[in-house]
Amino acid sequence: MDTSKYKALYLQETGEHLKGVEKGLLTLEKDPVDAASVDALFRHYHSIKGMSASMGYDPLAKLAHAQEDLLDKIRQKKIPFSADIAGALLKCLDALRNLVARVEEDIPLDVDISPFVEALKAAAEGSPSSAPKPVAAVEETAPEGLKLSHVMKVEGSVFDDLLATVGDLFMVLSAFRALSHESRSVAVKDGIYSLGKTVNTLHGSILSARMLPIADLTEGLPRVIRDLCKACGKDVELKLEGADLRLDRAILESLGSPLVHIIRNAVDHGIEEPVERARSGKGAKGSITVRAYSKKDRAVIEVSDDGRGINTEKLKEKARAKGVPEARLKTMTEKEVLMLICVPGLSSSDKVTDISGRGVGMDVVKEAIEGLGGALEIESVPGQGTNIILELPLTTSITKTLIVTVGSEQFLLPISRIVKVLEVRSTETLKGVYQIEGADVPLIHLAAALCMKHAERPFSTIIVVEHRGESGVGAINLVGVIVDDFGDEIDAYIKPLLPPISKLGGVSGITIMGDGRPVFLLDLPHIISKCLRQGI
Amino acid sequence: MAKRVLIADDTVFFRVALNEILTTGGYEVVGEAANGAEAAELALKLKPDIVILDVVMPVKNGIEAAKEITKLKLPVKIVMCTSLGYEPIVEEAIRSGASAYIIKPLNAEKVLNTLAGLGPF
Repeated sequence: MDTSKYKALYLQETGEHLKGVEKGLLTLEKDPVDAASVDALFRHYHSIKGMSASMGYDPLAKLAHAQEDLLDKIRQKKIPFSADIAGALLKCLDALRNLVARVEEDIPLDVDISPFVEALKAAAEGSPSSAPKPVAAVEETAPEGLKLSHVMKVEGSVFDDLLATVGDLFMVLSAFRALSHESRSVAVKDGIYSLGKTVNTLHGSILSARMLPIADLTEGLPRVIRDLCKACGKDVELKLEGADLRLDRAILESLGSPLVHIIRNAVDHGIEEPVERARSGKGAKGSITVRAYSKKDRAVIEVSDDGRGINTEKLKEKARAKGVPEARLKTMTEKEVLMLICVPGLSSSDKVTDISGRGVGMDVVKEAIEGLGGALEIESVPGQGTNIILELPLTTSITKTLIVTVGSEQFLLPISRIVKVLEVRSTETLKGVYQIEGADVPLIHLAAALCMKHAERPFSTIIVVEHRGESGVGAINLVGVIVDDFGDEIDAYIKPLLPPISKLGGVSGITIMGDGRPVFLLDLPHIISKCLRQGI
Repeated sequence: MAKRVLIADDTVFFRVALNEILTTGGYEVVGEAANGAEAAELALKLKPDIVILDVVMPVKNGIEAAKEITKLKLPVKIVMCTSLGYEPIVEEAIRSGASAYIIKPLNAEKVLNTLAGLGPF
């Protein structure tokens, strides 16, 4: 067992057991026949022993074991609990605490615990005088009064609740900000400004408390690869880079199975058999690299292999067989063709294997990544390997959004996709395209897309957004989204939609405004793709 | 399909360690219980293929939980988990329905071998 990563958990849990020991001993001193306390004490020592032995902290394990044995005898009523025993056990408790402190501070545990064990034996046999002399190594220190650990154990859900509360706070703040625009009072404006700063700081603190290093996720990969290799007779070396990149716990959690899936595909379909590798002049050992790094406020995780790459011709053939029109295939960029492996039922591998089936699941992987607000891209060079690029937000939940109005309704658009906002004469939008920096940008009417009536105005508001095309890849294009009006930028705490509302196309979340109104966050890629297809 | 496992141990430390060993070994950990009573309750609710029971646990110990789960007549294999020196107690559990046992400190390979050796489900 790789123990180093369990150290924090060990320290925290041992600390709790030591507190339990102290409480139990103090109870037993008052009521020596309290069987429940004897049982509980026995279990505390037993747990400390087990954990310490697993971590390789032998003196701790041995000392706890000696106390566990003594409690077992008391439990079986072979000997009574006495004041001497209580005294000896309390001395041992201090010694245990000392040893645990050494563990915490990485001081070697080269200490002789035998005097404490001897003292326990003596106390059990009823010869009280032989209290242990303080050993040089384990200094006997008086318990330092009340001392709290500086590491706290908190349920992950507490952070979810905290974040939700800050989300609500953001909404209230947005309402106040709107009021402050109308107010002439400098005091009100100042107050709301400082309130905003404080809420932001609070939000930042909670987010960083939720962050975990990606290593927590990737450290299980070597074992996954080892098992996969055993199963298919390949030899693959895994390289991990940037494992200290920190991501929100919720994102990291949801990333587990997509990541394993990508790795499985890489080992199973990407990396060639040793014989095939030798034929193409590669070393027998394949290589998979998982590289994590941050790019602005996004996390990027690349999984690359040095295998055979994806055969795009084969992919096209399969797509043809599945009924993708030839004309569409001809106009597809290389990247779009590669993205076909994310279409259910398409895969470049002919063989179905136990490990990854027929590439089934890349569609699920893509969906999972996009569900997290991320994007998936594929790069592949035949004969040289494949690189799967996952781009993810570092944190969740609070999204910078722009309020837009269509008819009598308000909607939110994610700021991250917005390039600029234009006010133009409505007559200029009639052609369905608008020229921006010399290029024709297609226009869509949000009102039409949402089957709503729009306000007739002499001017139109065009929100220019980035659009990647339905497959999530290819060149980023600009699209103009025509709305009736736009309002404030707000930090919205976006709640996921629950069925049946989640079945609505075109909306990806909901937020409650400061005045209690629910407002939808629009799923722009979905709406734009649909409109461009239907020519709205 | 991955075998579904329920873990019962009163220390988070061992639940986390065991969970990792099992997950990397291709098992699906469907639940974690902190005592014997919870273990029996979750065994009934989650219908796992395998239940791993620590012997020393509060409320109901592992032996009591093993007996209770056996009485439920579920298609589940019970594996006891215990520290060195407790093998005699474990034998009582084996008599009352457990199929195998694993010994702490946990050794990933041994744990997985023991589970792999549980035979047909």
